[in-house]
Amino acid sequence: MLTVEGLRAGYGPVEVLHGLDFTVGDGEIVVILGANGAGKTTTIRAVSGTVARRGTVLFEGRDIASASPDAVVRAGVAQVPQGRGTFTDLSVEDNLMAGAYVRSGPVKDDLDRWYSTFPILAERRHQKAGSLSGGEQQMLAIARAFMSRPRLLLCDEPSLGLAPLITQDLFRVLQTLNRDLGTAILLVEQNANLALRIAQRAHVLETGSIVISGDAAQLADDDAVKAAYLGM
Amino acid sequence: MLAFATDLFIQRTFDGLAKGSIYALLALALVVVFRGSGQLNFAQGEMALFCAFFAQTLTLSGLPVVLAIVAAALSGFVMGAGVERFLIRPIEKKSPIAVVVVAVGLFLGLNNLVAVIWGVDARRMPSPFPNEADDFIRIGGAAVRLERLGIIAVLLLLVALLWLMFNRTRIGLAMRAVANNQPSSQLVGIRVGRVLAIGWGLAGAIGAIGASLLAPQAGLSGAMMFGPFIFAAAAATVGGLDSPVGAVVAGLALGLIDAYIVGYLTWIGGDLVLPVTFGIILAVLVLKPSGLLGSVRVERV
Repeated sequence: MLTVEGLRAGYGPVEVLHGLDFTVGDGEIVVILGANGAGKTTTIRAVSGTVARRGTVLFEGRDIASASPDAVVRAGVAQVPQGRGTFTDLSVEDNLMAGAYVRSGPVKDDLDRWYSTFPILAERRHQKAGSLSGGEQQMLAIARAFMSRPRLLLCDEPSLGLAPLITQDLFRVLQTLNRDLGTAILLVEQNANLALRIAQRAHVLETGSIVISGDAAQLADDDAVKAAYLGM
Repeated sequence: MLAFATDLFIQRTFDGLAKGSIYALLALALVVVFRGSGQLNFAQGEMALFCAFFAQTLTLSGLPVVLAIVAAALSGFVMGAGVERFLIRPIEKKSPIAVVVVAVGLFLGLNNLVAVIWGVDARRMPSPFPNEADDFIRIGGAAVRLERLGIIAVLLLLVALLWLMFNRTRIGLAMRAVANNQPSSQLVGIRVGRVLAIGWGLAGAIGAIGASLLAPQAGLSGAMMFGPFIFAAAAATVGGLDSPVGAVVAGLALGLIDAYIVGYLTWIGGDLVLPVTFGIILAVLVLKPSGLLGSVRVERV
C-alpha cells in the first residue's frame, strides 16, 4: 500500500532523513521507533508532504512524493500530527467537519460513528476543542483524521504528554480501528513497549537512518535490541 | 442649560450609525484579512477607493448604480484575491515584515493610479438610495434620511451574509480552520493558499461596497478613504482584530462617538474629533489589550 524508497528530507540545508526504505502493507500497523531527534516526526511529515523531501513515496501505486499536503489527504492518507493539532477555537463538531473537508456527500453517518466510538466527544460537541483535556484532544485528532475515510493513517507520537492509562486506552482504540476498518497505520512512537504490542512490523530509526527492521513481536523479545535502542 | 432635544439626538444617532457602518464595513474587510493572514492590509482603503471610482465610471456609461456597485464588489474580489496571490504570498514566504512594505507601496501606487486614470478633481457618485432633499422619514420627531437607513441596512445585510458564510458553508469552515491553525488545515486537505486568496477577495469586495456607499456623501476623490481607513483600522483594533463582531460594534461605536462629539461637544470642534476619538481608543486598549471582543488564546496542552 505504501512503499517508501530512498526517502530524504530535512529543513533548509539540514538533512534529517538520509534515505529511508520501508513499506506498509494493506491493513498493517507498522511502527517506527527511535529516540528524540532520530527523525520520527520528519518521517511522518515526509510522507504527508509537509516537509521538503526527495525519493519515492508510492501510495497505492501512485507516486505522491511531489504531491502537496492537501493532495496527499485526498489520495487517502490522513495524519494525526504530534501535539494533536486540533482547531482549538473551533467546536468539537466543527473539528470533525473540517476532517471531512475532502469528502463530498453527506457525513452525518460518520459523525454518528465517531460520536459513538468516543462518547465524550458527543457530550462536548459544541464546546471549543481547546477546552478538552489532552486525552480528549487526542481522541478528537484521531476521529478528525478518520473523518476523511483514509486508507492509511499516519500517527505521530500519540502517547506524548498523556498519562500511561490513557495512552493504553488510545493504543487499544487504534488497534480496534485498524482491525474493524482495515485502515493501515504508520505509527511513530517513543513508547516502544506499547507500540510493539499493537504493530505487526517495526523499524528502529537512529539519526535519520533505519538501523533495525523486523517483526514487532521478535523485536519486543530481543533483549539486545531493547537494551541498545529502545531503552527498555 | 439647554433642554435636551430628542429629535436632534435621534438624528445624530442615525448620522453616527450610518458613518459608523462605513467604518464597520472597512473594519470587517481588515479583520477578514487579518484572521487569515495575520496582516493588517494598509492598502485596503485604497483598493476600495479604486473600486468606487470604477463603479462611478460604470454609472457614467448608464449602468444603474446598484449594478455598478455589484460590479465594483466583484472587481474588489478579483483585486483582493490577486493581491494575495501575486504580491503577498510570494513575499510572505521570504520575509513577513516585507509584506507591510508591499502593502504601503500598494497604498501609494493605487492612490497615484486613481489620480492618473480619473484625475485629481472630486467626482460625483450617485447614491443607490433615494437622496433628494425630501427623502427622509420621521422617527420620533426626527427627520432621518433614507440614505442613512439604507447604508445601515446594507451593513446589517452583509454581516448576516458573512455570518451565514462563516458558520454554514464549507468554505466558511475552511476559513475559520485556516484562521485558527494553518498547518492542521493543510493536514485535513484544505488548500490554505486558495482559502487565503478568497479571504482577501472577500475583504476587497466588502471594502468596495463600503467606499461606493461613502462616495455619494463624501465626494469621490483621492483623499476620500484616508480618514475612514484610520477609523476602520482603529475599529478593527478596538474590536480585537480577529473578531468580525468586534469590528462591527467598534465601527458603529466610533461613528456614534464622532457624531456626538461634533453635535454636542461643539467646543471640541470638527478638527479635533480624530484626536479625541483616538484618546478613547487608547483608553480601551490600555484597559483591555486584546480589544473588546478579541480572543485571548488560552490553550490546554
